Amino acid sequence: MTEYHLGVGILSFAHMHAYTYADILRRMPSVRIQAVADFDEERGRAAQARFGGAFYQDYQALLTRDDIEAVIVCSENSRHAEMVIAAAQAHKHVLCEKPMATRVEDAQRMIETCRQHGVKLQIAFPVRYCSPLRRLKQTVDAGRLGRIVAIRGTNHGQNPGGWFVERQWSGGGAVMDHTVHVVDIMRWLTHSEVREVYAEIDTRFYDIETDDCGLLMLEFDNGVFASHDPSWSRPQTYPTWGDVTLEVVGTEGITRVDALAQHLNVYQDQEGRYQHVFFGDSMDAGLLTDFVACVRTDKEPFISGEDGLRALEVTLAAYESAQSGRPVRLR
Amino acid sequence: MSRLKVAVVGAGTMGTVHSEAYREMADVDLVGILDIRPEAAQRLAARRETAAYTTLNALIQAAQPDVVDVCVPTYLHRQVVEAAAVAGCHVICEKPIARTLADAEAMIRVCQAAGVKLYIAHVVRFFPEYRRAHDLVCDGAVGRVGVVRAMRGGAFPVGWEDWYANVAKCGTVIVDSMIHDFDFLRWCFGEVDRVYAKSQLGRDMVQSDHAFVSLRFQNGVIAHVEGTWAYPSGFYTELEMAGAKGLIEFRSQDAIAVHTQIRQSERAHAGVQVPESPLVKSPYQLELEHFLECIRRDVQPLVTAEDACKALEISLAALASARAGKPVRLAQTPNTTASVQERLTRGNQDD
Ligand SMILES: NC(=O)c1ccc[n+]([C@@H]2O[C@H](COP(=O)([O-])OP(=O)(O)OC[C@H]3O[C@@H](n4cnc5c(N)ncnc54)[C@H](O)[C@@H]3O)[C@@H](O)[C@H]2O)c1
Repeated sequence: MTEYHLGVGILSFAHMHAYTYADILRRMPSVRIQAVADFDEERGRAAQARFGGAFYQDYQALLTRDDIEAVIVCSENSRHAEMVIAAAQAHKHVLCEKPMATRVEDAQRMIETCRQHGVKLQIAFPVRYCSPLRRLKQTVDAGRLGRIVAIRGTNHGQNPGGWFVERQWSGGGAVMDHTVHVVDIMRWLTHSEVREVYAEIDTRFYDIETDDCGLLMLEFDNGVFASHDPSWSRPQTYPTWGDVTLEVVGTEGITRVDALAQHLNVYQDQEGRYQHVFFGDSMDAGLLTDFVACVRTDKEPFISGEDGLRALEVTLAAYESAQSGRPVRLR
Repeated sequence: MSRLKVAVVGAGTMGTVHSEAYREMADVDLVGILDIRPEAAQRLAARRETAAYTTLNALIQAAQPDVVDVCVPTYLHRQVVEAAAVAGCHVICEKPIARTLADAEAMIRVCQAAGVKLYIAHVVRFFPEYRRAHDLVCDGAVGRVGVVRAMRGGAFPVGWEDWYANVAKCGTVIVDSMIHDFDFLRWCFGEVDRVYAKSQLGRDMVQSDHAFVSLRFQNGVIAHVEGTWAYPSGFYTELEMAGAKGLIEFRSQDAIAVHTQIRQSERAHAGVQVPESPLVKSPYQLELEHFLECIRRDVQPLVTAEDACKALEISLAALASARAGKPVRLAQTPNTTASVQERLTRGNQDD
């Protein structure tokens, strides 16, 4: 009896998370990275050397391989739709990097095509697998905070540069990059949808064509109100890349979560600054383990295309609100 | 006028804090404590070794204070301030200056007409962490500022007749507490252009209140201010100022310099925990000494009654926004406060 391996292909290393995902997949005994594809030949060949498998410059060629059951899409945001749809048509299950798309129509077509071809579509919201946030979810679900009244979120970061600050590829800057994770967590906690969005958005830190800072004020269907700060406001000397924090205010108590609190403070003279070295659980490992399990056991993904779409809608509404100066009603 | 005679009106939380600060000042005589509740006045007066009064007339006649320090609930500020001013006393009054702009403006007019000073106790400008942050950011330490975050709050406050729970008297956490941050941020960044707020106002708010306020300053700075009276216990403040060249962070939890835990015993029932950030002089004492110094020297205070009015305008705009679900623009007044933008522009030209 030959041992079963899940054959995986990686479509593009444009997003740096592709390297993290590939590293984790390579170490999973039940998974084999069969091929990588990248428009950028140099980048793709380097990834091939690191992770093994075949290399294709044309991802369509990768999709013709029968030994690949699932693909990870880590291209530029505005290319997700084309690749996910092609993968679904080739009957490959898909894990798609966030934000799932830059336009609502694209996200809807992605969901529809995956459904038609009977393949799984999971969106990479790994924060749902972060152990401190899982503990928060348990606390909320057990009713220990009473009824949720308000939630405050932050997902700060630094300007990643490259295509992230070219609107054509990213669809937007900090707000596009750093809104969806936390909005997804808020939806997950409240079991409710965002009804209205107000936002201030601007470019104040860098000389770039996209936004680099913003502030979102949200109202949920069930009356919970929330705020979220997705700014790329961490300076270069900051001890880590940014943060994910959440404060949930309930009628019976409050919980504050700092997803990166589990760290050492490390001081090294040669670095010229001190750094946080994280020692908590890897949320990306949780995401990929779950994705692989969904494919193998034919289970519905825990984070669906609809989840990706809802978070994208909020992001786009934030841009619309900042443009018009008015709150934008989603439902 | 070297020694000053000061009387405190209102023997609640802030009357207790202010009267303690006056007792620390060598050149001040605390000549009386007034409260309409005789037992409250007597209790605090005994602790501070001074006389207790129950009416302003009796206090002024017997003690002849130079300064009356008003620590009554917000909606009563105007009546006490005006009575003290008419009697010829300089006035120090707790923030918010008043519950309404009409009251605030009337107080300023009456004090002017009576030829007495009016100082509003926006104490955050005297907290060393905020002062340092202000000076750093104004000196361009983090470059052009983009996004600022401020947080303040803890448990629901306990007051006389539960006045904090009454929107008409107190104005919710937005008017009572977040006004501290509004004043501080205006000190740093000048005038606010627009405000958008979400809070528990108009939802259920039984001994719980929480609010998020988005501020957009005329100079473009975006600020998120969070105020809470929804925590089961404690009191916390946080400040974060992000600029193009750096970041300033402060968390009160990280500045606790002394942690004490007392084992449960007959004397300490629950096993007490005491976090402390000790300073030689409390910010309240620094603030009150500053106001008294301004009286003595007849100079402008660090925070004026007009500043206090502006902070109240921001609070009231936030309250209106929370009610209406719409952004509220503030009346366009030119930037008058020390303009960070100007200094930053200067700073940026240097490099
Ligand atoms: N700067 C700060 O950090 C800070 C903190 C808390 C409160 N405050 C402000 O201080 C003021 C007082 O708040 P508090 O918490 O001390 O209130 P409190 O309820 O603890 O005390 C108010 C006191 O005023 C007395 N009083 C009521 N009417 C009076 C009158 N007409 N004449 C004399 N006494 C009268 C009451 O009997 C009570 O003892 C408010 O404006 C509040 O917003 C400021």
